[in-house]
Amino acid sequence: MSEHVTATYRVNSEGRTIAHPAHHTLLEVLREACGLTGTKHGCELGECGTCTVLIDGEPQLSCLVLAREVEGAAIDTVEGLEGRDLHPLQKTFADLGAAQCGYCTPGILMAAKALIERKPTPTRADVCEALSGNLCRCTGYIKIIEAVEWAAALCRGESGARPADASLYGVCKEKPHG
Amino acid sequence: MRNFDYYLPSTTSEAQDVLKKVKGARAKAGGTDLMGLLKDRLTAPDSVVSLDNVGELTGIKERDGGVWIGATTTIATVAANKTVHRGGEAVAEAAARTGTPLIRNRATVGGNLCQRPRCWYFRHPDYPCSKKGGETCYAQEGENKYHAIFDNVTCNIIHPSNLAPALWAHDAKIHVLGANGKTRDIGIDEFWVLPEEDMSKETVLEDGDLVTGVTYTPGGRSSGSAYVEVREKQSYDWALTNAAARIDLSGSRVKDVRLVISAVAPVPMRREDAEAVLKGKAFSEDLAWKAGEAAVADATPLRDNKYKVRLLKATVAHTLIAAAQRAKGGK
Ligand SMILES: Cc1cc2nc3c(=O)[nH]c(=O)nc-3n(C[C@H](O)[C@H](O)[C@H](O)COP(=O)(O)OP(=O)(O)OC[C@H]3O[C@@H](n4cnc5c(N)ncnc54)[C@H](O)[C@@H]3O)c2cc1C
Repeated sequence: MSEHVTATYRVNSEGRTIAHPAHHTLLEVLREACGLTGTKHGCELGECGTCTVLIDGEPQLSCLVLAREVEGAAIDTVEGLEGRDLHPLQKTFADLGAAQCGYCTPGILMAAKALIERKPTPTRADVCEALSGNLCRCTGYIKIIEAVEWAAALCRGESGARPADASLYGVCKEKPHG
Repeated sequence: MRNFDYYLPSTTSEAQDVLKKVKGARAKAGGTDLMGLLKDRLTAPDSVVSLDNVGELTGIKERDGGVWIGATTTIATVAANKTVHRGGEAVAEAAARTGTPLIRNRATVGGNLCQRPRCWYFRHPDYPCSKKGGETCYAQEGENKYHAIFDNVTCNIIHPSNLAPALWAHDAKIHVLGANGKTRDIGIDEFWVLPEEDMSKETVLEDGDLVTGVTYTPGGRSSGSAYVEVREKQSYDWALTNAAARIDLSGSRVKDVRLVISAVAPVPMRREDAEAVLKGKAFSEDLAWKAGEAAVADATPLRDNKYKVRLLKATVAHTLIAAAQRAKGGK
């Protein structure tokens, strides 16, 4: 039985050659071997969604994928979201207070990114469906859903689309960062 | 999770070769069930054979009047497929309601049919229940809100697959490549094993058997099918009860009907007694509720799951009504 394997992964467009225990999941390799701890460990059984990353653009659960099965695939984690500026999703989540403890946020951001790329004008139902595998135990989902809708609008170049201030956390008049 | 030897074959015959030669080797498709079982040490194979690179097991094709779905086709693909939506409505609905988008992007059709039950005593490493070779079914006297209301004597698991009742309503066949290199087709009505027959497994598959795909019979012009499930939460949840039906109408008369219920017994169940209520008669909602009644007549609920009997009756009625609606042309 081979204890370790050496494999090359494409994480956030960067090639990384890594030796890791042969049976490790993508989540373990990302966190332990790559030091990319943005992706979180949650239930480990596919129920909570906090370990969501994109594999060839599709949101998947990194805790249920053996790392060696995605050798050669494009893997995107929350660390790759920010370019020169924050990603619109990061801006709108911060502005609307769509996170409390933040543990579920990396997974939600990745699931939302995949949705916006697949469907630039998602309906409320599309957003709820796309995020239905990501549990948040703090905020309730209203701010999260609004942040995704707003980010989609920003990605479409519509700057005035800030959601109405029905916020539980008070009114916030500023535009998103940047 | 214990380490294992890992094989990544690229053809069906290579995969089958490993399954044949390496004792106790276990097939792995999406891993959404197997990884959980490995982590909780409910299984600890020395070797795992990934089907990830076996391209010939993936796809959806119309073939000899049937629709073939390759074993490693993802459930997301099935849910979005036009061929399945046209004539296989129940299958499309069952796929769309399976787990979460994140699960559906990885979980496969073959894995869905071969997944192990979700009984919380079976899944808990600390309960040596009868399904794991112990003496006791803890659900019999314990927390049995989500357990079986039929065939619940020795073991109270419920069958977990959404696709099974839907594929059965469409008279599916499961294609299997055996360890001896021979292929065989197993009717979906003969695929399941009750705990009384063999406590250690839920399907008739033997060690080394590989499911290569399923073929179902799509409905014709005066036919409609539907899958309905009831669950506690609106988004992503396991079914409390579900049912799939296919109805062929001749005018308003029910020419043929299949009704399969699930999430209520260790195996999915075709209910011919309930079908008989409809067969040959003019379809009506009243008749659909009578069929629902027939489908629950012999239920034997446990302490905490009596609610499932009423729920199932309604699930059956709604499923039949939706299928008949489609058969009438309201697809
Ligand atoms: C959070 C969550 C929610 C879920 N909700 C639902 C739900 O609502 N409805 C539902 O139906 N399911 C649900 N599931 C179960 C899910 O659908 C199954 O785990 C999945 O379909 C299994 O497919 P897989 O490809 O991941 O199989 P794997 O995990 O790879 O394999 C499962 C089993 O099948 C065997 N196997 C796989 N492929 C083959 C093959 N081709 N030939 C022979 N044996 C094979 C494996 O050896 C293993 O024992 C849920 C799962 C999770 C984690």
